[in-house]
Amino acid sequence: MHWNEIVTTVLLSLGCVISFSGSYGVIKLPDFYARLHAAGKTDSLAQLLIFLGLVFVTPDLLTQIKLLLVAMVLLITAPTATHAITKAAHLDGLRPWTKSERGGRP
Amino acid sequence: MNAVVLIDTLLLLLVTVSAIAIIEVRSLYSSAMLTGVYSLLMALVWVNMHSMDVAFTEAAVGGGISTILLIGTLVHVGREEKPLKKRLHVPALIFTALTGAALIYGTLDMPRFGDPAAPIHHYRVPEMLAQTVGFVNKTPGKQPAPEGFDAQQYRTFDGRVKDIPADPTDTAWRENSPLRTEGLLIPTVPYQHDAHAEPGHHLHPPDDFNGHVPNSVTSLLAAYRGYDTMFETTVIFTAGVSLILLLRRPRREGYLQKGAPLGDQVILRVVTKMSIPFILIFGFYVITHGELGPGGGFQGGVILATAFILYALIFGRPALYRIVPPPVSDVLTGVGVLVYSGTGAACMLLGGKFLDYAFLNTASPGDGEALGMTLVEYGVGITVSMVMLTIFNQLAEEQSK
Repeated sequence: MHWNEIVTTVLLSLGCVISFSGSYGVIKLPDFYARLHAAGKTDSLAQLLIFLGLVFVTPDLLTQIKLLLVAMVLLITAPTATHAITKAAHLDGLRPWTKSERGGRP
Repeated sequence: MNAVVLIDTLLLLLVTVSAIAIIEVRSLYSSAMLTGVYSLLMALVWVNMHSMDVAFTEAAVGGGISTILLIGTLVHVGREEKPLKKRLHVPALIFTALTGAALIYGTLDMPRFGDPAAPIHHYRVPEMLAQTVGFVNKTPGKQPAPEGFDAQQYRTFDGRVKDIPADPTDTAWRENSPLRTEGLLIPTVPYQHDAHAEPGHHLHPPDDFNGHVPNSVTSLLAAYRGYDTMFETTVIFTAGVSLILLLRRPRREGYLQKGAPLGDQVILRVVTKMSIPFILIFGFYVITHGELGPGGGFQGGVILATAFILYALIFGRPALYRIVPPPVSDVLTGVGVLVYSGTGAACMLLGGKFLDYAFLNTASPGDGEALGMTLVEYGVGITVSMVMLTIFNQLAEEQSK
């Protein structure tokens, strides 16, 4: 196994783990903001790791640059989208979930 | 079961689930978002089939702009679906079941998924592989078909040349086709540029595009069935015009005085200002690159429109109207169709048939084709983006009444 394949395997596995934990969090976490927090990790970190992993096995320089550009665009736009949704919910008057409000149970 | 079939099955299952969810969900917002999900899943299905152009269009049009327009419509009609009085409408059910059964019956005659012996692989793909779609009509000014090319033949794995039956509907031959076991649809002539290759030199065709643009999908869309694409553009143009006629009202005083709805959101403002140039560049890239790779006027036009819509969402429509006033977008809607048909007319003036792009550069027909297709794609792109912008503007204008 060449070194770049090892790097790719590690990065892709990490990306998959974060992606999975993100989707698990969307199902399991108690309220809107916490769920969005989990989904935001999938959008930003997981995609970055997966794209970086793909860069190392792509032979073509132009494709590598394109992959990095896509990763960068997503790195800027995905958190912005998460921010916009959260802000909209906040302005709409959605209160974050707190332990005291529901007797300590989600 | 191989990986492609497995992924396809999973994706189509998800597509079905989201389709059922779209019908069942009461909240229309969820329904609109689910249509976006549906389109993205379909785009993945098409990527799996290696039809990048279709996947791109589905992602840009279905997943992108139609979701925006659907949500814009929801502002007028309300968030919740009205509960139905009667859950089951028997005649409708019977009609739907019959239509579905007829469609399924129709698919029985179709070739199996990925069948190498399907008619399309005999009668069109060999020509596309040999880049000879345009050679079929022997118009002067076009390059002649390569020596020895015969679209009715194919080459087996071991290099023998065999005949394809002349009848495309010969299903019996298809069932027992040697293509399934020993065949490969390699054209019976080598690529033209192979003959011009010199040792140690980059393969360079006689003209830059070997008599044809590299993306065979664009070649089919813009040249082989160019009339079709032209009238598709006209349909979009007509949609835009009828929308203007039906929905546009005379302006009242102060219709532009409404402030920017999201102008005080610093992060959104900054990111929008940062990303709009890139969206525009990408849109133009997709339009211009249409004859070289996946992309084209429809996708690129939609991407250009999203840049304007994003600007209007963040900075308000007054700011958008300062950049693209409604009269300008109205005129540009028509200009796109004019560019398309004008390219066709230019080909006629230069001695060819309507939309016979090779005549735009008779010294190098491939370059002529590329030039003509780029012009045509720009025509499509202008019309599509401006019509999308008009639809958005009309929806937003109604809403701010």
